[in-house]
Amino acid sequence: MKIFWYRVKRDLLLAARSRNEWLNPVLFFIIVTSLFPLGIGPEVNTLQTIAPGVIWVSALLATLLSLDSVFRSDFLDGSLEQMLLSPYPASLLVLAKILAHWLTTGVPLILLSPLLAVFMHIPLTTIPLLMLTLLLGTPILSLIGTIGAALTVGLRRGGVLISLLVLPLYIPVLIFASSAVATHAMGLSVEAHLSLLGGLLFFALALAPLAAASALRIAME
Amino acid sequence: MTPQRKRRLALISLMLVSIGIAVALILNAFQKNLLFFFSPTQVVAGEAPLNHPFRIGGMVKEGSLTRSSDGLSVDFVVTDYSHDVNVTYTGILPDLFREGQGIVAMGTLGEASRNVFTATEVLAKHDENYMPPEVAEALEKSGAMPHGLKTVEEK
Amino acid sequence: MFAWFHKLTAPKNFYRFAGIINPWIGTICLILILSGLYLGLFKAPPDYQQGESYRIIFVHVPAAWMSMFVYMVMACSAFMTLVWRYKLAGIITEASAAIGASFTFLALATGSLWGKPMWGTWWVWDARLTSELILLFLYLGYIALNSAIENKKTATRASALLVLVGVINIPIIHYSVEWWYTLHQPATVTKMDKPSIHLDMLIPLLLMALGFTFFYAFTLLLKVRTLLIMREQKSKWVQELLEHGKS
Repeated sequence: MKIFWYRVKRDLLLAARSRNEWLNPVLFFIIVTSLFPLGIGPEVNTLQTIAPGVIWVSALLATLLSLDSVFRSDFLDGSLEQMLLSPYPASLLVLAKILAHWLTTGVPLILLSPLLAVFMHIPLTTIPLLMLTLLLGTPILSLIGTIGAALTVGLRRGGVLISLLVLPLYIPVLIFASSAVATHAMGLSVEAHLSLLGGLLFFALALAPLAAASALRIAME
Repeated sequence: MTPQRKRRLALISLMLVSIGIAVALILNAFQKNLLFFFSPTQVVAGEAPLNHPFRIGGMVKEGSLTRSSDGLSVDFVVTDYSHDVNVTYTGILPDLFREGQGIVAMGTLGEASRNVFTATEVLAKHDENYMPPEVAEALEKSGAMPHGLKTVEEK
Repeated sequence: MFAWFHKLTAPKNFYRFAGIINPWIGTICLILILSGLYLGLFKAPPDYQQGESYRIIFVHVPAAWMSMFVYMVMACSAFMTLVWRYKLAGIITEASAAIGASFTFLALATGSLWGKPMWGTWWVWDARLTSELILLFLYLGYIALNSAIENKKTATRASALLVLVGVINIPIIHYSVEWWYTLHQPATVTKMDKPSIHLDMLIPLLLMALGFTFFYAFTLLLKVRTLLIMREQKSKWVQELLEHGKS
């Protein structure tokens, strides 16, 4: 367990020292979301209808943007190989990387989402729910995304490829999360949506680190 | 047990636990209804949102279809055989649209006209039965028509 | 039994075996599809509600079945690739991908053609259609990953892992109709106890489904033979083959 927290701390430290890595996706999130009113028009009703989808799609794309760098520096300086050779279970170490990734990209998105919700005229009473769906959903994005990052590690043009591999797998999260926000704005119960999102989260938590670890092994063979 | 084995065992049991939680949560979700559309009963009971687009689903009531003089807009009643909702729609109806047939309509319920649903899109729902016309006729005569064709499907 | 299987799946033997049986598979496929089309388009009665336009079912439904069946085959062979490192299994996964993607595209295209007169729209974002579209994306992602990695061995194993990750999607497709209460009608034939489709319509449907399966087998073996030669071009049996010019 100690090694797990040590790895998380190390990755957070690395992220803190290179500000671009975690700041750029966050700025991207804000800019993309604010492009939609400019492209569609400032009409409140329209914006309200598309808001949950727009915010969630932007969150998806922002996460995607950050995936490319999850393993890159570790791959280049050889510490990825060290990690696979160490006596600790690789999936646990990968899980530490995923947690660090979520803390540096997912959490800032959650914290910024109320601002964007105001931009998009989401009712104030729905904003806590939007944050809750992001809290449940962004870890899934980090978990699944890491599999894609592991499969493409070491490839020169991995960035675009990751989106091809990972986006289809993101679709269920997008559907449940944004429809939860929309349904809540209509004043209906969203228990089923949240329960499904939670189910997906635990499912991904159980299997994604394992899949990512074996993908890394295949790539490093 | 070596420490490595212990660690592995702990990891595997953690995995199983989280899969168990996932299954429980997903099963819990399916017990609740993920709504694709509202039934007329729900609309009449005021469960549907006002001034917000949603889908309404049900059967087109027999004898309720009236076309306006310009030939484009139609009025009909959607029913689930316990409550009715008036629907008005301007546009081309799909082939399968006929009285007694299941439809799903997308539109809004205005605050002023609590009982009229203004549809922006009408979709026909077709059932999972395929048979020649003669068979359907014979079935209907003998009263053995599969459920869901003339009556609402039991939930 | 197992030794025999092992011998058969050796690249050299399988190449020869596939060459012998493939003309037969092709002939059976042709007979099945032609008779299915004849019975479906000319003999089967029109539907009591949808008239003649329901006949697209004879292409649409088999294509949709095959789109899932091919993915299941890929999942099984991907599993064998990862666990036992069967060379042939990897090649089967790779050869299946493009065929499966084509079936999925066909199912989506015919479904859209059918949806316009029946539902009144080309496309509905309901559970089943959406999952089929995601399935197409999964096929395309597999193809992209497989061709992006230069080392063939790594490519085969990495993309096999991707198939296994994606296979979680298949049950979502199949049971989506029961999960969501949607526009798309529930599955017809899989209710085996009492199929609610008339026998004159069921027979051509099953013929077409079987014909599509044989078509898959036919194209699969063609592609596997090509890939075998390409992958094994340095080995002795391929060199001999090229020198003698026959299999």
